[in-house]
Amino acid sequence: MTRGAAGAAVLVLVLVPPLLTSNPFLLHLAITVLLWTLLGAAWNLLGGFAGQVSFGHSTFFGVGAYTTMILYLKGGLAPWYGMALGGIVAVLVSLPIGLICFRLRGPYFSLSTLAVAEIVRLVALNWEGLTNGPVGLLITTLPRVAWGGRILDWESKVPFYYMIATFALASMLATYRLSRARLGAYLLAIREDEDAAESVGIDTVRAKVLTLALSAFFTGLGGGFYGLYFRYVDPDAVFPIALSVEMVFIAVVGGLATVIGPVIGAVFLTTIGEMFRERFLVGHLIFYGLFMMLVIRYLPEGIWGGARRAWAKRP
Amino acid sequence: MPLLTVTDLTKDFGGLRAVSRLSFDAEPGEILGLIGPNGAGKTTVFNLVTGFLRPSAGRILLEGRSVVGLRPHAITRRGIARTFQVVKPFPRLSVRENVTLAAFSHEAARRRAETLAAQILERVGLQDKLGSLAADLTLGEQKRLEIARALATDPGLLLLDEPMGGLNPREVNAACALVEQIRADGVSVILVEHVMKAIMRISNRIVVIHHGEKIADGPPERVVNDPGVIAAYLGTRVV
Repeated sequence: MTRGAAGAAVLVLVLVPPLLTSNPFLLHLAITVLLWTLLGAAWNLLGGFAGQVSFGHSTFFGVGAYTTMILYLKGGLAPWYGMALGGIVAVLVSLPIGLICFRLRGPYFSLSTLAVAEIVRLVALNWEGLTNGPVGLLITTLPRVAWGGRILDWESKVPFYYMIATFALASMLATYRLSRARLGAYLLAIREDEDAAESVGIDTVRAKVLTLALSAFFTGLGGGFYGLYFRYVDPDAVFPIALSVEMVFIAVVGGLATVIGPVIGAVFLTTIGEMFRERFLVGHLIFYGLFMMLVIRYLPEGIWGGARRAWAKRP
Repeated sequence: MPLLTVTDLTKDFGGLRAVSRLSFDAEPGEILGLIGPNGAGKTTVFNLVTGFLRPSAGRILLEGRSVVGLRPHAITRRGIARTFQVVKPFPRLSVRENVTLAAFSHEAARRRAETLAAQILERVGLQDKLGSLAADLTLGEQKRLEIARALATDPGLLLLDEPMGGLNPREVNAACALVEQIRADGVSVILVEHVMKAIMRISNRIVVIHHGEKIADGPPERVVNDPGVIAAYLGTRVV
């Protein structure tokens, strides 16, 4: 039962940190890693398995974030329900996007997602009645919640840690299940050759739209969490292209179409990003970019993909 | 009733008429050869019949039911399978997985689909390559893999687009035997091929197209002696 053991190990690794430290910076770092894990895993479902490179996933992130914030601030709906609804609204938004953009293939698909993301960002910026425009939305107080007889302390990072840990694990579990399912096999076929996939009876549009919906759900969930954790969203924070690109990087650096890849990608990019920021106040992004290029050049399958290959080749 | 009935099939690409009012039938249990000079529109006909292109006009009936307007995967599920002129394997997947994916079209359980795939791979002689990546096969093997993949969708009609192109003479002989075996197993075949020796040997009937139009239709020996066909391939004598 190595699979069960691996699952248990992951669970312990994820559950224990808050018991070891109450240092808010370390917890914040862990939360950041887990949020990026969730987002990388969500992107990986579509980009890694189906090979459909989206540069527009910030759309689903932003939609999730705004859904959560708006429902809480204007509708009084507790943000934890809002997060789930954020995921669902992201799914609804993904359906027309999928049906339109999946008419295009390869780089044209990627460019169309970029265009959609930019349109959505501009809508959020200008639809002031709904989004407050560039001013953004701010949560000042969160509702009181009792958990196991204790009032949750929203100033502490621990509840957020467990929340995002649950989401990240769920996204990894979904990745694992997909990789075992017929849909996962279909997606690999689509990644390899879309015409050939159609020719063997695979409804490629349906498979891609379903996967985009799943990917959008987790991305929207991440957006909702972001809103709740930072208590503030504006269009530049949740709809930027940089966010979409970061999701791509995490999945690629970690290892496409793998379960563990996004965690590795998130750990590397978060820590290395922080390290460079600390060392080089000016131009730290240059080194970050250089690191990206090295990984893509020498580990095209990502860190986890490369490690797995090396392990398989061991004498 | 013919298995496939094509009537007045026409396809325009902008101002170019690639296929022009083409009509032909394919009978159950026959190997129909489809030949013509380069650019005659043979592959376009395949793309029209399998839904990769939409006809500008005309009808395509499979067992009396129209397949026009269906997407390729739906046509495959109706029972028309195809291979591609330029092979399109799933390169980074194993040979077995390539064929299993096709078996999924009528067999949902992975284990049974894999068993089916292994049986079909044995039929085409790739039983020793189950674990290899499709990208690592020779061209001849990849062509056989494509045939196996098409067969795994359990078709009634198989469209083979130059399955012998680029093969050496021994491989051509093996491919001929394979196509005849497929027919013997109850699958009708339409074959586009430039290797004339092969197509003459195994076709029951040959349709010749030129500039998208049908110029001959009949048994192989009659078609190759047809003056119109000779003119299309070689041109008419000027002196």
